Amino acid sequence: MPAEVKQEQSPSNATSLAMMQEPQEVVEETVTIEEDPGTPTSHVSVVTSDDGTTRRTETKDMSTNVKVTKMVKTVTTRTVRQVPLGPDGLPLPEGSSPLSSYTDSIDRRYMKNGGERFITPQATSTLTRAYNNSYTDSYGETPESQYIRHYGLHDGYTDLTDNYGSLSRGINFRPPRYPYIPNSYRPENSYTLPIRKDDYGHVAQPQVPMGSSTVDLNRSQPERFQPEPYGLEDDRRSLGHEEEEPYELEPDYSTANRRTLPGANRGRTLREPLRDVHRVRGYPDDPIEAELIDERHPYIHGMYSAPLAQPERGSMASLDRMAGRRSPSIDSIRKDPRWRDPDLPEVIAMLGHPIDPVKSNAAAYLQHLCYENDKIKKDVRQLKGIPVLVGLLDHPKAEVHRKACGALRNISYGKDNENKVAIKNCDGIPALIRLLRKTNDMEVRELITGTLWNLSSYEPLKMVIINHGLQTMTNEVIIPHSGWEHEPNEDSKPRDAEWTTVFKNTSGCLRNVSSDGAEARRRLRECEGLVDALLHALQSAVGKKDMDNKSVENCVCIMRNLSYHVHKEVPGAERFQDPSALQPPGSVGPQRKKKDDAGCFGGKKAKEEWFNQGRKNGENDKNYDTLDLPKRTEPSKGFELLYQPEVVRLYLSLLTESQNYNTLEAAAGALQNLSAGQWTWSNYIRATVRKEKGLPILVELLRSDSDKVVRAVAIALRNLSIDRRNKDLIGSYAMRDLVSNLPSGQQRPAKNLEEDTVVAILNTIHEIVTDSSENARSLIQAQAIEKLVAINRTSQSARETKAASHVLQTVWSYKELRNTLTKDGWNKSHFQPAVTATPKATKNGKPGYDDTTLPLMEKNQDGYSTIDQRDKDCKYKTDDSLADLTEREPLKNDTNRKHYIRSNRPAVSLVDACDVKPQPVDSWV
Amino acid sequence: MSFVPGQPVTAVVQRIEIQKLCQGENLILGFSIGGGIDQDPGQNPFSEDKSDKGIYVTRITPGGPAEVAGLRMGDKIMQVNGWDMTMVTHDQARKKLTNKREDVVRLLITRRSLEEVVKQSKGKSPQTVIEGHRATQGQQRTKHFHNC
Repeated sequence: MPAEVKQEQSPSNATSLAMMQEPQEVVEETVTIEEDPGTPTSHVSVVTSDDGTTRRTETKDMSTNVKVTKMVKTVTTRTVRQVPLGPDGLPLPEGSSPLSSYTDSIDRRYMKNGGERFITPQATSTLTRAYNNSYTDSYGETPESQYIRHYGLHDGYTDLTDNYGSLSRGINFRPPRYPYIPNSYRPENSYTLPIRKDDYGHVAQPQVPMGSSTVDLNRSQPERFQPEPYGLEDDRRSLGHEEEEPYELEPDYSTANRRTLPGANRGRTLREPLRDVHRVRGYPDDPIEAELIDERHPYIHGMYSAPLAQPERGSMASLDRMAGRRSPSIDSIRKDPRWRDPDLPEVIAMLGHPIDPVKSNAAAYLQHLCYENDKIKKDVRQLKGIPVLVGLLDHPKAEVHRKACGALRNISYGKDNENKVAIKNCDGIPALIRLLRKTNDMEVRELITGTLWNLSSYEPLKMVIINHGLQTMTNEVIIPHSGWEHEPNEDSKPRDAEWTTVFKNTSGCLRNVSSDGAEARRRLRECEGLVDALLHALQSAVGKKDMDNKSVENCVCIMRNLSYHVHKEVPGAERFQDPSALQPPGSVGPQRKKKDDAGCFGGKKAKEEWFNQGRKNGENDKNYDTLDLPKRTEPSKGFELLYQPEVVRLYLSLLTESQNYNTLEAAAGALQNLSAGQWTWSNYIRATVRKEKGLPILVELLRSDSDKVVRAVAIALRNLSIDRRNKDLIGSYAMRDLVSNLPSGQQRPAKNLEEDTVVAILNTIHEIVTDSSENARSLIQAQAIEKLVAINRTSQSARETKAASHVLQTVWSYKELRNTLTKDGWNKSHFQPAVTATPKATKNGKPGYDDTTLPLMEKNQDGYSTIDQRDKDCKYKTDDSLADLTEREPLKNDTNRKHYIRSNRPAVSLVDACDVKPQPVDSWV
Repeated sequence: MSFVPGQPVTAVVQRIEIQKLCQGENLILGFSIGGGIDQDPGQNPFSEDKSDKGIYVTRITPGGPAEVAGLRMGDKIMQVNGWDMTMVTHDQARKKLTNKREDVVRLLITRRSLEEVVKQSKGKSPQTVIEGHRATQGQQRTKHFHNC
């Protein structure tokens, strides 16, 4: 029951740096994601804000809140009890040393405030609810076996559930009135009861300050235990149900608690006004005792009798209704001055309470308090609550470490990185990892991984997480949930990935840490089974056509990040670095202008054939590593998988099918990274993209609504055009789509792309027109000159200006085109750098894609389908997507076809909306 | 039918249930669709309002399941199995229609003739009138930010 989920995404520094150095590569993105949402059954509210660079999502499980809220009451009750009963007038928590200091202050506060505080003795349903919740939470989730063991002996309780229920109830009622608990209900192995006894028996009792209070207390006890067990059982059962379904009061409860939080935080002063009203009445000297009594009464009169009167009412709702009758207005309940929430130091002190349920309740309450409340988180930190919570992670009781983990998850979420650091500083990260190894409880695992996800959003913690948790997270979560098996049993069927919350959280955490630079990448790549499992998960996603979810997004982002600089960072990369032997010089060297090298073309041809063979024989590698590639004696594994040509198909499938912009961006980014290097593998990747009909897929994504998708695709195309053949194809068929993304004149296109994107597109265009007058001609035909000139002259962005200027200069350098240009009304001055361009560029030195060493390119609209679309335009008829692919396919291999198409292009008028707009698609279903 | 984004839209619709046909590995419906919010609505020959980005039936396979079920070229698809189709991308619509796990597709469609029939004979129309909300296109994106 995660109470809060978060997601944060922030562009990583690494990204921009990387970009700066090697513009043509996609850089890893630092994606920070925090936490996942809660249980599926719960209400989840998501707050999303997207400011362009940072995305943050908080999800809160409302039902959890409700529970937590209720717990508050329980806690309060106990606290009240304890404090007065403490051996030396101090609260009990003495046993838990870490908190003793707080104990002190709490005590004082109690005393002091107690005098002022006031509680009217009135039965209300609120109290009842509080009680109910107290067992639901503190006991309902305690391992049942315990209770079953105890009560199994009772003849009447054959049904385990019932026993459990009645037991829980009994316990809950009893704590305060311990002495009345029948011996038979106290099995030796029950830890709960004995502890209670200690607390309230020998320690607590003697300390009761007020004689009258004690009397009251005693007097009330008999009443409690008179009700028949069966009535209690029913009641309990209903509580169980209630726990799962939030009821109507929930929002109010949350609100109410929240509202009082600040007060709790600051001490009680804020709340005093409420109580002042009642102060007049006068009450027992010891306000705490008074409160205790008050609490009891309502329970007895209000709630307790109700189930007995109507035993058939099993649902909590009915209880609520009954209660409602007694206290007509919820508001009045909430305002009931008899209730006081424990303040923050008290809650933190309770974390050290000897009774486990108190600990867990306190932790759960903290979780609730911290939800979306940065102030409280900070206060918890400053009150040294975080080390205590971390300490509870090692607590043997599931209930305790679960709740502690929940609190830590909320605390770890948010922009206040100091909270994260505080968790790390008390060794919270190894403690979380330890618990992850230990527990099989899915909910706890969700909480742990959610917390780790939150922590991983802060740069300095990334390496810590890697050091402590990488292999554990991989072994415990990623591998098992991905469906991948180290050594698949011949008989066993390949398993699909399970998109569990745990997997999502863990992949989110790894996604974040994977952006922490070369060392982090190295660690992840070399983490045994990680890449294999991620790939398997993604393949399973593609197979199931389930590609829009967050887990897939996380996996692709990790893959993209790990693909960054593979050609430099992977062990043994040197061996593949000598491209001249394999590749014609012209096709190598992404940063240099390529020469139109015939040899290159020939070389590619050979390779294409080679690839074709591979394709024919099935996509399973083996065929890939012939000729140039070193023989693979065994299947690739680990990081090698990152750059095998087989991954191209995976990424292309994602690019085709996914609707998730982040996934699209990451998949395009992965291709961008893989096609960037100058080693053997990137040559094959570039050719494989073409062979797998990836170019039209990418070009189509230039029309995406998403800025970052367009950007990633544009840069990928630029890298891919290092391959001469790709360059020709992209020049012929992508120019229009590229150009259409450019702003025209002062006004941006509808998309209003960011500067980075526009620059990326300009650079891609530059790359494409460099060394290819044919492509430059396509650029002119795509009506790009007007846009380029406008950008060059009027853009507010120095980077855009510079990039456009590069393109223009390149175009003007083709003498054979000047005639055409002149006819269109352009002259040399249009192609010269704007006077201001250079200065602007230098002063606006934002790292980007506008590396001067990189050629700039023109862009074209998608040429692949231009003709088809033109034909179809008016008819509004197209072929289904498959047909589309086949129609485009020839373009990739057939140069003649390309020219044919090009010549078929109608002259484009300057304003031709049709050309710019996406062409209609038509799909058979 | 024209819409104001964000405003409810009222249309006369007809329910059409199509049993998919097994063709090799694929289940087919036997018609093709055009349109979608990512397409240029101006090129849709079937829409009355050229800003309508809805999903339209563009072709029907003679004798195919769609024709048998009474679908006609030019029909505008309002819903597929309860999913709104008036504000989806082309591909989203295609995916909803080609869901492999469903072999029956229930469509709500509207066509001009239906409107006219209703106009002429008010009261005894067999068609249902549904009301749906047009989402604005911006909302489409937000789904990606929810945790799934």
